[in-house]
Amino acid sequence: MIVDRNWVPMKWPCGPLEIARRNKSGSIDANLKETLEAWVRPSALELLKDTPINCLIVDWADGRPEDSAQQQALKPLLEAGRKLGISFVGKLALKGSAGAAVSAARAAGLSAVICEDASAQHSDLPAILQFPRDKAAWETASTIFCATENVWPGLNLQTMNGDTAVAGPTGIPWVNSNAWFSLLARELAPGNILWLDFDPPAASNLLHPAAYALAVADSYAYGSRWIISLDDKLRAALPNGNSQAKAVWERLCEAVAFFESHKEWQAFKSQGILVIISDFRGDNAYLGGEVLNLLNRRQVQFRIIERAKSQPALEGLKAILWLDNQKPSAERQAELVDFVQRGGLVIAAAYWGTPEVKPIEKDPSLRYKLYNVGKGQIAVADEGFQDPYQVAVDAHLLVSRRNDPVRLYNPQTTNCHSSGESVSPHKGKRLVQVLNYSSEPAADVALWVNDRVDSARLWQFGAAEARALGGRPASPGTEFDLPPVSVYCALEFEGTNL
Amino acid sequence: MMTTTCSRRKFLGAMGAAAGAYLAHPVMPLARAVPAGRVAVGTCREYGPEVTATLARMFDQLGGLEGLVGGKTVAIKLNLTGDATDRLEYLPAEITHWVHPQVIGATVQLLGQAGAARIRLLESPMSTSEPLEEFMLQANWEPRDFLGAAPRVEFENTNYLGYGRKYSRFWVPGGALMFKGYDLNHSYEDCDVFVSLAKLKEHVTAGVTLSMKNCFGITPCTIYGDNSPLDEPSLAPHGGRGPFHEGNRLPSKSAPPPVNNALTSKDPGYRVPRVVADLVSARPVHLAVIDGIHSMAGGEGPWCDNVRHVQPGLLVAGTNCVATDAVCTALMGFDPMADRGTPPFETCDSTLRLAEQLGVGTRDLNQIEVLGTPIAQARFNFRHA
Repeated sequence: MIVDRNWVPMKWPCGPLEIARRNKSGSIDANLKETLEAWVRPSALELLKDTPINCLIVDWADGRPEDSAQQQALKPLLEAGRKLGISFVGKLALKGSAGAAVSAARAAGLSAVICEDASAQHSDLPAILQFPRDKAAWETASTIFCATENVWPGLNLQTMNGDTAVAGPTGIPWVNSNAWFSLLARELAPGNILWLDFDPPAASNLLHPAAYALAVADSYAYGSRWIISLDDKLRAALPNGNSQAKAVWERLCEAVAFFESHKEWQAFKSQGILVIISDFRGDNAYLGGEVLNLLNRRQVQFRIIERAKSQPALEGLKAILWLDNQKPSAERQAELVDFVQRGGLVIAAAYWGTPEVKPIEKDPSLRYKLYNVGKGQIAVADEGFQDPYQVAVDAHLLVSRRNDPVRLYNPQTTNCHSSGESVSPHKGKRLVQVLNYSSEPAADVALWVNDRVDSARLWQFGAAEARALGGRPASPGTEFDLPPVSVYCALEFEGTNL
Repeated sequence: MMTTTCSRRKFLGAMGAAAGAYLAHPVMPLARAVPAGRVAVGTCREYGPEVTATLARMFDQLGGLEGLVGGKTVAIKLNLTGDATDRLEYLPAEITHWVHPQVIGATVQLLGQAGAARIRLLESPMSTSEPLEEFMLQANWEPRDFLGAAPRVEFENTNYLGYGRKYSRFWVPGGALMFKGYDLNHSYEDCDVFVSLAKLKEHVTAGVTLSMKNCFGITPCTIYGDNSPLDEPSLAPHGGRGPFHEGNRLPSKSAPPPVNNALTSKDPGYRVPRVVADLVSARPVHLAVIDGIHSMAGGEGPWCDNVRHVQPGLLVAGTNCVATDAVCTALMGFDPMADRGTPPFETCDSTLRLAEQLGVGTRDLNQIEVLGTPIAQARFNFRHA
């Protein structure tokens, strides 16, 4: 048996295990207990009718006495689900060996298990390995792998004053996003599928419909999938036919269906003229992750290259940020110097070029020493890379906004991701996805792209077809006035010079 | 009000008088006789080649630029207020609240043709120490266009120490209204001629923002910012100019102290016009150029409520900033002699009056020579547009 790469996963908390867990944490009342009992019944699957959701994550074993009762209680649900073409993945939260639980799962007809135990990969049931994202085990990542400890996308609640976002000193509202981690996963576990595990905020009270759609978009737009997870009140309200809950659910499913109908976009490569090189592990994990996150917040389009990758493709790049605290190997140094000599820029924490080259006189406000090497430069941070925020700002300025592939005007709480394809069958296709991290639509947002194009295809949730959106020449590229961005829109271009 | 043309000789003579008045400032009492000014008004419907032609004609009407800038270092304070990505609806910043690059380029070109040895484009972009060129690029401007408009064009972000080794101190001559002096980026001292290149706009706090209010932005937020350290300037600017606006705190102690009444009022409508009047008294403007081809009404930027795009189709230039702003105020449909309580100064004191009080220039249209298109013919009423 193998995992299905087309699974659209959703958490399905129900039954004795979840009730026991909630009892222990004191987070259960009569209503919630009723909900958890209701969702284990086959009739609950009615909710999934005509939706793209085809894989349910159910609690299977966590070492409690209720494990057996849970597995018994799930039987009718599993049987009914299978008839509907739904796959089930059992969640294992065991400290010891998972062998017995895996065997029971196989016998019960589960399609896979999800667990932290890497040895489960060698069992006779496919395993989806799970790890906290700051302890990512990239080498052992399974075909589908799962990261926990993600953030709920949106404006940071700690920077909210009522409905108003409070900007920091940079003037940019602080946005929570898992985008950088999804992009990192594409490089460090290429070909594998990342599932992001995160739940709605505990304080949520029937979240705004946009919030769930954003959780979907913030994952899919960057190449991963969110394990859909509903808050308690929404799960309680849905079977009762609550109209508000229904609207939230429909909007969530609409977003998932939209991305599922554009699977080809997931293979598009991130477009960027700046490459970040690190191994992103151990001592490099924090700085690497923060810089990626902050570059993304600045709308800097970047690519990631793992330090150990042999012969990385450096064509078409303007700059490389060597973020790793280990200096490049001799072989990699030669590649980088060659890149610089041909006109590239390398940004590093220490100079390792030829010793006879001396730094040029520089702008006193610049925190970098600049070494002219061939047609290019090596920029070396005076005090190393200490503050990830400053590293992101400096990298953007050293590369220069002149090289921006995209820019947003009146961005408010929006961000964008540019990707594209240089090989058939989608050769020359470029995609810019715009996400709004506020529950209020973003009005008057304009997107500038560095391509000369007459028009683009505008995609929005809920629209089966794209519509043409005319551009306005804005040298050296084109500008597009976007309609109000509720959660997401995408502009697709053809015939670009990618 | 006089509407006339002026010979080049007369223009240079007036410049000499203005310079003499500046040198005499420290001993001049308030309410002294103020230098009269000449102001040229040109109509120009759109941005394009006609901008250069119109400005050239206007500068000729003023008597030409050669005597003012020949062989000199010219500093131009631009008006690029707010963030580079802020827009009124979908309109680029230069169509509403920023001085347009065509006007900048044309001014640079004409200054270069008049013999300016070095032209420095200055602005203090909001809350950043990034190079000014990068700020422009973010707005999708091409800084290279300015480099090619004249020999030796330079840029500097003046919101922090910049390329200088220390801040330059400018004392307010004769009697300051808010602070005894101001510490500024070296660029405002290291120049022979200072040009304020502004936009024709209303201002929520100061009534109007023209060549004088543009100079509010010469102050570095490393000293005058919300988050500047108490004692010494910060390395990089963060935040806006709260110490000027609301008086919620003092600037860094390294800067000249406030005058006695600087702490009594927290009213931005009292404080901001006084800071501006101080600044143009301490750092005189030799040439004021106002872009009123396209603009916005109702406020100074898209962040203001009830603002809208307008197209007055005007360019204004003058050798005295008070006189130039007075003519602009009249062109916008207001009375430059108005004071607090009367449009456009409903909730603030008049910067025009305060600057006049400091001896910087006159706001009395009867004492100002208006050259080119008469005010009555060019007037564009901002409140009714």
